[in-house]
Amino acid sequence: MEKEKLFAAIAENIVEMEDETVEELCQQALDEGIDAAETINEGLIPGMDKVGDLYESGEYFLPEVLTASYAMNVGIDVLKPHIKQEENGEKIGVVIGVVEGDTHDIGKNLVRIMSESGGFEVWDLGRDVPLDDFITTAEEKNADFICMSTLMTTTMGGMKTVIEKLKEKGIRDKYKVMIGGGPISQKFADEIGADAYTTDAASAVKKMKELKGAK
Amino acid sequence: MNPRERLLHTIEKAEIDRPACICPGGMMNMITAELMESCGVSLPAAHSDARMMADLAKAAYTSGCFENVGVPFCMTVEAEAMGAKVTMGSNIVEPHVSEYVINTVSDHTKLPCVDHTAGRAGITVEAIRLLREELREVPIVGNLTGPVSTASSLIEPTVFFKELRKKNADAHAFMAFVTDQLIAFGLAQIEAGADVIAISDPSGTGEILGPRYFEEFTVQYLNRLIAPLKAAGAKVIVHICGQMRQVYPQANKIESDVLSFDSIVPIREARPALPDRVLMGNISTYTLEFGEPEKIAVMTNFAADNGFDIISPACGLGMRSPLGNIRAMLETLKERG
Repeated sequence: MEKEKLFAAIAENIVEMEDETVEELCQQALDEGIDAAETINEGLIPGMDKVGDLYESGEYFLPEVLTASYAMNVGIDVLKPHIKQEENGEKIGVVIGVVEGDTHDIGKNLVRIMSESGGFEVWDLGRDVPLDDFITTAEEKNADFICMSTLMTTTMGGMKTVIEKLKEKGIRDKYKVMIGGGPISQKFADEIGADAYTTDAASAVKKMKELKGAK
Repeated sequence: MNPRERLLHTIEKAEIDRPACICPGGMMNMITAELMESCGVSLPAAHSDARMMADLAKAAYTSGCFENVGVPFCMTVEAEAMGAKVTMGSNIVEPHVSEYVINTVSDHTKLPCVDHTAGRAGITVEAIRLLREELREVPIVGNLTGPVSTASSLIEPTVFFKELRKKNADAHAFMAFVTDQLIAFGLAQIEAGADVIAISDPSGTGEILGPRYFEEFTVQYLNRLIAPLKAAGAKVIVHICGQMRQVYPQANKIESDVLSFDSIVPIREARPALPDRVLMGNISTYTLEFGEPEKIAVMTNFAADNGFDIISPACGLGMRSPLGNIRAMLETLKERG
């Protein structure tokens, strides 16, 4: 198969969530001597971008995005061992987690998946994350963004605490703080002095790219 | 008209003097720091003691906040009874699942049934019994975590949502099992004296699942749960989180007596979309915690004027919400009286 056709078929099967076909096609790409990194960049990632667009336009929802990202990961597992180690360019670094007291991490996982497929470097702290961990990890990894999520009204206050702690340490301006989750609103983000709030994962990634460009 | 009559009349679309102000409990938290101080019973202890649970629930009524009592105060009772590990939280942090039970929906046959005579399920039922003995004129709301939210507390949610599609038949078998457990627990609450069962399903929203899976899973299993509860004589409230715009026709298929919405849902959109339903909502949780009583009075009047039949906090209360703000809802409704 022509290289471009193969990439298009991989992207198409990501969108169609056909993980077995994605696996076969990625193997085929390897067999044909196509560079593994190129297959990821020209096949898998454009497929996931399309999934992001479908999600944003309301045609796809969480189950579709998760199944498509599973298909993408199956493809990456096939290709990864064959990637030549090379210097990575400057990546956007994101520390992400669900604030202490909450274990609802669907939204957070979605932002992580979309960020990773957008080429960001993501440190996922998981759920029920002690507030100080957001800051220590961001400092350690020299991240650009601290992303916090919660689905519960009772734990929203933790986001404010993290911002206050950043201020106390005199490092508030080193990071952009983005928040999200069911009870969160732009108004709450303004109130606690967060840099950004978005309603869904696809716009979260766009917002981060926009803010990083403006930095 | 006593509070129990007022709520039940509202639900039956009979005559009422004014809209009721309630907060069910469960996901829709009605406990605050001030409330705990006022009655000397605190969380997390009250999650695991029937007497304390009943007393704390009563405080939300006797302090003039709400015209109901409701238990339990979290969404983890059902999952814990089916084997999930739960961290009990603190005075301001709700209990939450810290370890799931199964790794794939296909393993649902390994799950234990809910024993509503033991553990925190038993404590919840006992708290309802105490409340019924002590309060005749106040409606008692028993709470259930919705089928999708309970299911996704037993298995990592990303796996669950993926398998709705990839292992569709097993996912349905898992949901049927979970729903049967919820039915048994709900019936025990009704038998103990609950007038109303409120079901919240925050993980099963249209926003998360999309219209197709919302109908295939959320609506189907909610209805399977609702029917026997209604047959046992209880009224049923279903709270759906998030935007409704894409799923009004599906939501209208939910056979509960009452539908309750998040503050993101404008009543001027919901009322025309659901003309015949009893609607509950949706005073902003954020404003209740951070706003002023005057603003809350305006919002309460707006909600009542534009079609909400029952007034309640949109997603429950933040723990630090001032009592003055919470009371502003009921006080406003009494002035309309």
